[in-house]
Amino acid sequence: MLEIQGLSKSYGNNAAVDNVDFTVPDGQVGILLGPNGAGKSTIIKSIAGLLRYKGMIRIQGLPARTVEAKKVFAYVPEIPNMFDALTVREHIEYIRMAYNSDITDEEVEQILKEFEMDDKQDKLGNELSKGMMQKVSICCALAVKPQVILLDEPMVGLDPAAIKKLKEVVLELRNQGVTVLISTHMLEMVENLWDIMFVMEKGHIIGSYTKQDAEGRDLDDLFFAMTGGEKE
Amino acid sequence: MKALIYLTKRSFINNLKRAVTKPTTLIALIFGIAYGAFVIFGLGVMAVGVHIDSVKGLLAVLTIWSIYNTFGNFLGYSSRKGIIFRPGHAHFVFTAPIDPKLVLISSAWMNYLFSIIVWLLIGIGSLTVFRIPILSAAVIFLGGCVLELAFEAAVMIFLYTNDRVPEKLMKAIRMGIKIFLIVCALAVVLYFRKNGLTLETAWALLDMPGLQMIPVFGWQIAIYRLILLGPTVLNVICSILYLAMAAVSVIAAVRMKCDGGYYEEAAKFADDYADLKKRQKNGEMVFGLSGKKRSFRRVREKIAGKGAQAIFYRQLLEYKKEKFFIFDKITLISLVLAFIFSYSLSDSAAESGVGQLFLLGVVAYVSLVMSGYLGKWESELKNPYLFLVPDTPLRKMWYATLIEHIKAFVNGCIICIPIGIFWHVNPVEIIFCILIYVVIQADRLYTTVLAQCLLGDVFGKTGQNVLRMLIQSALLGAGAGVAVVVGIFVNMDFIFPIVLIYSMMVTVAVGVLASLRFNTMEQLV
Repeated sequence: MLEIQGLSKSYGNNAAVDNVDFTVPDGQVGILLGPNGAGKSTIIKSIAGLLRYKGMIRIQGLPARTVEAKKVFAYVPEIPNMFDALTVREHIEYIRMAYNSDITDEEVEQILKEFEMDDKQDKLGNELSKGMMQKVSICCALAVKPQVILLDEPMVGLDPAAIKKLKEVVLELRNQGVTVLISTHMLEMVENLWDIMFVMEKGHIIGSYTKQDAEGRDLDDLFFAMTGGEKE
Repeated sequence: MKALIYLTKRSFINNLKRAVTKPTTLIALIFGIAYGAFVIFGLGVMAVGVHIDSVKGLLAVLTIWSIYNTFGNFLGYSSRKGIIFRPGHAHFVFTAPIDPKLVLISSAWMNYLFSIIVWLLIGIGSLTVFRIPILSAAVIFLGGCVLELAFEAAVMIFLYTNDRVPEKLMKAIRMGIKIFLIVCALAVVLYFRKNGLTLETAWALLDMPGLQMIPVFGWQIAIYRLILLGPTVLNVICSILYLAMAAVSVIAAVRMKCDGGYYEEAAKFADDYADLKKRQKNGEMVFGLSGKKRSFRRVREKIAGKGAQAIFYRQLLEYKKEKFFIFDKITLISLVLAFIFSYSLSDSAAESGVGQLFLLGVVAYVSLVMSGYLGKWESELKNPYLFLVPDTPLRKMWYATLIEHIKAFVNGCIICIPIGIFWHVNPVEIIFCILIYVVIQADRLYTTVLAQCLLGDVFGKTGQNVLRMLIQSALLGAGAGVAVVVGIFVNMDFIFPIVLIYSMMVTVAVGVLASLRFNTMEQLV
């Protein structure tokens, strides 16, 4: 479970996120939507522990900044940043050590194969294209074997095969009881994935729906109804 | 910690492998090591030459190192910019289940390495140059290195993880330190002006009891004095104070709670540092991390000009939005150089009767000093829109670099006019010098493009620069040689027109060749 309570973050006098509360229950896929500048990235970075904030973030009931919480948490940032001098395989080895993950070599091979990176294991970080970096970033997150995973615009830069694979992986994770939070602008990409959605605007959550509440309505209908925009 | 050691180890090995397989990096590495060894050897010889190859000389070195290291560390760590983090840290390390203090300690390995190298050199120098007993040298090396590193790590943890002391107070302390250092430097200058710059006065300055009483670095100096000169009441008390302070700092650092609040600044630093590296690689002159977003002036103006001309007017608009228009660090350096040359050489240049040749020499020297500077225009070549503009490559190149020629003209005026006036150079020859400066700068730009064309990325920026220098010195050197011969055997007045006309011809020829690079985005190699 991922719980956000009273989360606030300011940059100088500008409140990027103001007293935000939401929860993604165990084994559900939550999506965080909102126009540019709504505060999504600030929330994502706060959950990942990259920002100071006011309020409480809990991962599986543990304060997000604790080492115990981080052990069960994986993060795929919007812009992947590889270590220039580490190969793809070494990135995964590092993750295995840092998280003390029990992932086996066969499982690593399998993940890399699924994302068509098995033949690029010896490539250095600075030799990868943006799409490949994104794939490595996803593979590393999966190597953690997390209970909560945070994906920030995960489809950007991916080829169609990788997007398809990623969608399958998200559903697979959900079936395994993993809590997933995806922040995205690509509504059509997450149409069939979500269980609970949150819409942000100007630093606040302005509405949320569960799949049941939505009663079969399209994600973009719900989104534009809340933000007041128009569906194309 | 195992994961962080793995990360550092693998990065180091892979970087080394890459350096060995890349000839330019390997050559630069060998050259760097050889140069470093030469400088150190030279300093050793100099120490013997000026008779500071004694215990007091070593004390002077240790004093300077203590002051530099103590304040340097504080300034760097208190602004949370003392440790080099990469964007990869924000992605893979800050989010991992690793104690933030361990992240801090392991990420600062380069700082420790630097300190250890300095201490090794001090240790070797103690035996070979300053000729102190081997036992004292060992104690100095071990004591200094261990104590200093322990204290440095403690200070680093305290300053990075401390969220209680307000940033405003930290800023005030940093400003206080800078003012203190300036005051100290002024005091030292005044001291030597009053007492004369001799070895005796220097030793007397080092022996001032007040120096050892200054907290932190003064106490550190007291320890070195205790080891090297034997105990006195003052150095024993101050040494105890230093040991106590180091012990308390280490204990406090171990006990301090840290939940990774500093990751916010560290992640920002990583981005800024990556940006700085990228800009430096692109040839921009960037000296430090500003950390602030660049602000631009509001200018409401339409871009005039058609075809390739639009490139020039767009650049002009960009410069109008800059704080100081086209004036930048190069302008500042030109001003400083003009001031230095105007003052320092005015008598000898004026008396020689050939001040104009001195000025020509200055123009050549400044061109050499500025040879590493590429300027903004080079980013044009990375912009696909440049190649889509429906115009000829030659016109595109001309308009993409025109503003650089204007800047070169302004800088040429800043350098040549004051120096020329101070050195009593004929106004016509001053104008010649300005024009020669502009042409040399233009030649440098076009030769850079030509070198890029010929080498591509095969030998990196270093290879391109070496080739550029070879082409430029071969072409312009021939002209300079002819001009000198004509000047000596025919008439001195011909030197300036010959140099200018020849340089212009060469520059136009190189420019035409270089314009090929503006045809397609793909390089020829």
